[in-house]
Amino acid sequence: MLSQVQISPYNVLAERAGYFPVSGEHLYTVLHEVENPVARTLLVGPFASERASSYLPWVRWARYMAAKGIEVLRYDYRGIGESTGSFEHMTLDSWTSDVEHLAAWLKSRGQDVPLVLHGLELGGLLAGKAFHTGTADALILWSAPANANKLLRTILRRWIGPQQLLKREHERKSANDYIRLLDEGRSVEVGGYEWSPELWRQSSSFDLPPAMVPPNDPADTYKRPVRIVTLGKEATPLVKGGVEGFEENKDFNWLFAPTYHWIASSLRIPSEAA
Amino acid sequence: MISNKVGMRELITLDGNGVVVRGTFHRVASRRGTETSDANKSIGLMFLNALFHPRSANADSGVYWADSFAESGYPTYRVDLPGLGDSYGVIPNDLLRFINDGGYSSVTCAKTKELVNSFGLSGAVVFGHCAGATTAIYAASECKECKGLILLDPYFNLPKALTSKLSPELVHWARRSKIGALIRATYDRIREVPGAFRKDALPANANHGFVSRWKKVVSSGLPILIIKSPEPAALGSNKVRAANFDYLAYILSFAVSSNQVTVHTIEDTDHSFANRAGRASVRQQVETWLGEYFPQAVAETTILGDHSFQVQDINPLAVGTPVAVQVSLGD
Repeated sequence: MLSQVQISPYNVLAERAGYFPVSGEHLYTVLHEVENPVARTLLVGPFASERASSYLPWVRWARYMAAKGIEVLRYDYRGIGESTGSFEHMTLDSWTSDVEHLAAWLKSRGQDVPLVLHGLELGGLLAGKAFHTGTADALILWSAPANANKLLRTILRRWIGPQQLLKREHERKSANDYIRLLDEGRSVEVGGYEWSPELWRQSSSFDLPPAMVPPNDPADTYKRPVRIVTLGKEATPLVKGGVEGFEENKDFNWLFAPTYHWIASSLRIPSEAA
Repeated sequence: MISNKVGMRELITLDGNGVVVRGTFHRVASRRGTETSDANKSIGLMFLNALFHPRSANADSGVYWADSFAESGYPTYRVDLPGLGDSYGVIPNDLLRFINDGGYSSVTCAKTKELVNSFGLSGAVVFGHCAGATTAIYAASECKECKGLILLDPYFNLPKALTSKLSPELVHWARRSKIGALIRATYDRIREVPGAFRKDALPANANHGFVSRWKKVVSSGLPILIIKSPEPAALGSNKVRAANFDYLAYILSFAVSSNQVTVHTIEDTDHSFANRAGRASVRQQVETWLGEYFPQAVAETTILGDHSFQVQDINPLAVGTPVAVQVSLGD
């Protein structure tokens, strides 16, 4: 049995992978380079345990934008994926600072074109905070939680379920058991990542800027375009909840196309250029 | 400012035959005065993707292991197969079935060969977890550069056995829910039971094409390390488990020597092997096994000298337009 699969590189742009230095560590970055870009986008991905499932559609979104003339930089958080550093030493502050550094670098690449920050889940919180301080000309949030602790609790509860199947009844711990340990200032390993007490403590007060929380209108507050979208199960595996091995090639044109058109119209990118 | 090297890691691209595969190379520390010759080339480790996971693997355990094995003297390479991670390519809708049918076999074999030639290795030990183990077996059956296999939780059956007679809505629910996952696992086990009473017959849901590749690889005498995670407690008692068809015993019966295939089970971990206990045990088992079958004295030859292999930026004009490539889907 034979199948035809297109596996050669696409012919639109270059993709440059590299290590970006930050505070003694290096962020793994991939620049989807575009000659004479009409805009630039910094993609701020989801939290550690969500990275793997969202990776393929997130990369495809980067390629989609690059093919439309928008230069894209995506990266792994410090201490996660291909980036260096130990996850257990990372804090929300260090990840916030990384967004600022990368956005400044992307902006400095020449040609005065608009910069878009786009965050997914926890990345939405990080991107939202950077946008709040004046970084970037537009903001897109996909399924950004109102608070980081709320997200961590959701991830913890989702992880607990399959773990229960592995244990005998007397060995099972509930999500509340783990939360109690974290509240007591102890580290907890969740899905292979060591959650530090500091990460947990910071997450409680790590909120989306109030202007971005409904019923407020962020565009009214910031006078810059903001698009906030909550993704449902139709968006798996970009968001968690799908079936591994069956959805990785899902068509996301229903999400990518309108998002791109929103960028183009909000930033007044000439349709010919796009 | 942005570099393609940091510490002992280097980003690499394998672009032979117009198929671009991206990866990370974990370099071995140089031993001053060590000379490299054809007589003592290194064995390298090549990590494959586990299903849809990028090359860092579950909770970045792949990065941890690769760093560790490189520190022990084995140059290690983690690659994204086409369509996965950072490597471009269009994957099929049913990725799992594609892999179970050997869809990545030919490209894995070609990239193993390219890796061995580009880095002057004597061969590669291919490391695969779950679906990655499936691809590793398929590739090893047709790749002479593959000198050994490290397999984490390999499987032998076709997980879609449940789907053919049920309504799409029920299948969808069974795939999505945790209860559904348990039902699927139980169903697969029940289907295996008749085979357990006919020692020579494989269960109905066995992946026959894949098992035949297993037999070919084991019969060739290739050293294999298999590491298993414990069975979920929810799947029942040891008596129930004992009734299941023992694929490993079946496969081991084709081994050419008693110590060719090493099997370990790691307790205190799960299928991801990504927790602290899992990572440490896998590291220990693999390093012990490598030391026995591919002694470090050979592996520790320096390969840090300048190699001509360095293609990080892809110039689309140089690469050309995409071409359709025939990918073998196995027997």
